[in-house]
Amino acid sequence: MIEHYLFLSVILFCLGILGVISRRNVFIVFMAIELMLNAANLGFVALARLHVSMDGHVLAMLVMAVAAAEAALALAVVILLHKHKGKLDTNIFSLLRG
Amino acid sequence: MIVTYMFFGFALLSILGALGLILFKHPMNGAMSFVVTLISLAGMYALLSAKLIFAIQLIVYAGAIMSLILFIIMFLNIQAKDLPDEPGRWFYLGGGIVVISPIAYLLLKMVKSLPAGDTGIIEQDFGGVKEVGQLLFRDWLLPFEIVSILLLVALVGAVVLAGKRGANT
Amino acid sequence: MEQTTYLGFIPLLPLAGALVLGVMHVATCQGNRIAEKLYGILGCIGPVLSFILALKLFFSLKGLPAPDRFLTHEPFTWFSVGDLTVPMGFLADPLSSLMLLFVTFVGSLIHVYSIGYMAGDKNFGKFFAYLNLFLGSMLILVLGNSPLVMFVGWEGVGLCSYLLISFYSEERENVVAGNKAFIVNRIGDLGFVLGMAFLFWGIGADGFDYLSLKANAHNLTPALGITVCLLLFVGATGKSAQIPLYVWLPDAMAGPTPVSALIHAATMVTAGVYMVARFSFLYIEVPVAGTVVAWIGILTALLAAVFGMFQNDIKKILAYSTVSQLGYMFAGVGVAAYSAGIFHVFTHAFFKALLFLGAGSVILALHHQQNIWKMGGLKKKLPITYGTVLVGSLALAGCPPFAGFFSKDEILFSALATGHTGIWFIGVIVAGMTAYYTFRMFFVVFHGTPRDRHSYDHAQESPRVMTIPLIVLAIGAGFAGFLNFPAIFGGHQQVSHWLAPSLAEHHPDAGLGVEFLAIGGSVLAFVIGISIAYRKFFGGAEEPVYRGFCKFAANKFYVDELYATIIVRPYRFIGKAIRQMIEPYITDAPAQGVPWLYRMTGWVFKVVQVGYVRVYAIYMVIGLSIMSLLISQSLNL
Repeated sequence: MIEHYLFLSVILFCLGILGVISRRNVFIVFMAIELMLNAANLGFVALARLHVSMDGHVLAMLVMAVAAAEAALALAVVILLHKHKGKLDTNIFSLLRG
Repeated sequence: MIVTYMFFGFALLSILGALGLILFKHPMNGAMSFVVTLISLAGMYALLSAKLIFAIQLIVYAGAIMSLILFIIMFLNIQAKDLPDEPGRWFYLGGGIVVISPIAYLLLKMVKSLPAGDTGIIEQDFGGVKEVGQLLFRDWLLPFEIVSILLLVALVGAVVLAGKRGANT
Repeated sequence: MEQTTYLGFIPLLPLAGALVLGVMHVATCQGNRIAEKLYGILGCIGPVLSFILALKLFFSLKGLPAPDRFLTHEPFTWFSVGDLTVPMGFLADPLSSLMLLFVTFVGSLIHVYSIGYMAGDKNFGKFFAYLNLFLGSMLILVLGNSPLVMFVGWEGVGLCSYLLISFYSEERENVVAGNKAFIVNRIGDLGFVLGMAFLFWGIGADGFDYLSLKANAHNLTPALGITVCLLLFVGATGKSAQIPLYVWLPDAMAGPTPVSALIHAATMVTAGVYMVARFSFLYIEVPVAGTVVAWIGILTALLAAVFGMFQNDIKKILAYSTVSQLGYMFAGVGVAAYSAGIFHVFTHAFFKALLFLGAGSVILALHHQQNIWKMGGLKKKLPITYGTVLVGSLALAGCPPFAGFFSKDEILFSALATGHTGIWFIGVIVAGMTAYYTFRMFFVVFHGTPRDRHSYDHAQESPRVMTIPLIVLAIGAGFAGFLNFPAIFGGHQQVSHWLAPSLAEHHPDAGLGVEFLAIGGSVLAFVIGISIAYRKFFGGAEEPVYRGFCKFAANKFYVDELYATIIVRPYRFIGKAIRQMIEPYITDAPAQGVPWLYRMTGWVFKVVQVGYVRVYAIYMVIGLSIMSLLISQSLNL
């Protein structure tokens, strides 16, 4: 039974990757990353249940805290981007072009 | 038995929500379907006897973070013309599936090799505020403090980023 | 074997002097100069001390019984390959000790003389550094106990000749002359190296020093023996200026006169003769090679004498006389009269150094005028130079009691006694020609009336630091011949007996008649030569205009032009062709390919670095995917 949770975790994680690499909308990319974090969280919690040890819960909480911090910063950046360029396209950042 | 049905129900909902997230064109729709995923995951946590995480998932994730995102999306008042046109979306999606399949295959195989375990609800002394709190403030104190500093830095950073531009304009 | 440590110091002292002087010169050539006197004294210390050590060596060798007369010193192992270990070894035996004596003696005198000659030159220090290096290299060449160590000195004198010939490097001609000397010597060196290689291949397995080689010389197959001998002789023709590689020596006159003296008298050109004598144990086994050496030697003597008769430059005349005398030496060693050849080297060192230094004195007095037709009547102005050059000229021309007579006569006698009548006959003719051109130069320069009144009036005798070496050398040129006074006159032939343990030599038995024939021929040739010169030039002659054969000879039979046409030009053409046809495609292509590769790699990276965050995420996922594949495979999942 426990592997079903982990299967679900893997599926969600892969969907998150697909979201990151297939979309150009900043919000969608951002939320796809959140999706991956959640998939990882599910894995932590499921394994915590498997081993009857609550370290996984603590890790999940820490991940959520990181996600909250990321959300705060990322949204600030998105606002700046929208103000500056009027667009929500990730491809307008291409300063790393060789 | 009921737990199994509930699991599959939540699993279906969360996958649908994730698919909605990566397929809807407008971020508003994507965010709403992502909320579905998050709430389903909260249900999963409940099924796994993680009561505190269940609560935090609902309050912090589905509540605070998603509200913030939705608020920003509405705040920016995004019209359909503001959205980037994504001509290669299906191409990237197909390519992504091909590229990801070995990773997924490896992960699934590894998961499959795990030992089977009991997944029944543990009613006492697991996953509650008291137990997790004791663990958090005893064994995980240092990481907890570091995360608190991280949150503080993120707070200051967000204020600086968002505020500076406003001051200039 | 007993070690004789001071052997190593003989070459080391001049080399150390070269180092010290060189460092001093480099350190001070920009700003405040060190006094010339200091350079001069430092420069002379090394050679003089070496001469003293050489004397000590000579007497300690003399104290030993004749068959055991050799001392060795091996300070360190030079290199070791497989079974072969080559020590940096020195060997002193009668042959090398005799060479050492006159090389250091004449070398020291030339150093002293240079203090006067080079006074005021801005590269005074450099000159003495090179001079010391030259002498040190020559001493290594002479003292080396194996062909390899000899080769170190061999190359060293080649390098120093290049440095010194092009010493006045402001003028292009001098640099070209230096290059010519160096390149022509390289051709000879190639022969020497090949000869060494064949020798090693043949009998080098049981040790490659002279003593082992001598012991194994009979194991050499005849074909290999003749190859080795001829290849080594090619090396000798380069160093000692024989046909066909003699062309560098006349051009070497571009250097300062003391350098010419050093090259012609004490060092460098005698190396070839010394080498043949050193390998006498090989040449005695292969008479054919000896005959080739003798004929090339005597033909060189003839050719150079013909050229010498028509030159106008005082140093060129002396240069051709050197080539000619070297030809005699090779004729001597070629007919297996090694001691006679070395004895001629010995006497030649004195009178040729004397003549060059005397010529230098004349040149300096006339402010670097070298054309003999601009001189004349200098007898009154330069009395000491006149007297000493007269002794040198008589010695060179082969006037009976002087040094050159005895040594030359001994060579001619040996040629006659071993049945090489042709060589003897040419040798006698060349002796006459030598007397003619020597006294042509002498009469034109010192007798008659001054041809250039202005420079004549300003001429004055050289300082004592220059004239004293001249006098010392004149004494040597006058009396050195008596050291090998022929037995026929009741002499003891000390030099021949002294050299006997080092040389594989059979003294031919010849009757009194042959001996008198040889001496009579030489004297007759001398008298005829000098009387023609007296008739034509004593009273003061004007510069002749050469026609026909004379013009041909004055232009040295156009040999330089011939070499330029048949060797240098085709080489240039080949070089040009290679530069234009082959190099761009074969050697340049890989060189150009490297930047091209970098450009292509850069282009690939540029394409990969699109700058979109999403694409970097895709790369990351692709990497993860490949890793996953590998892990799946390695875990057999």
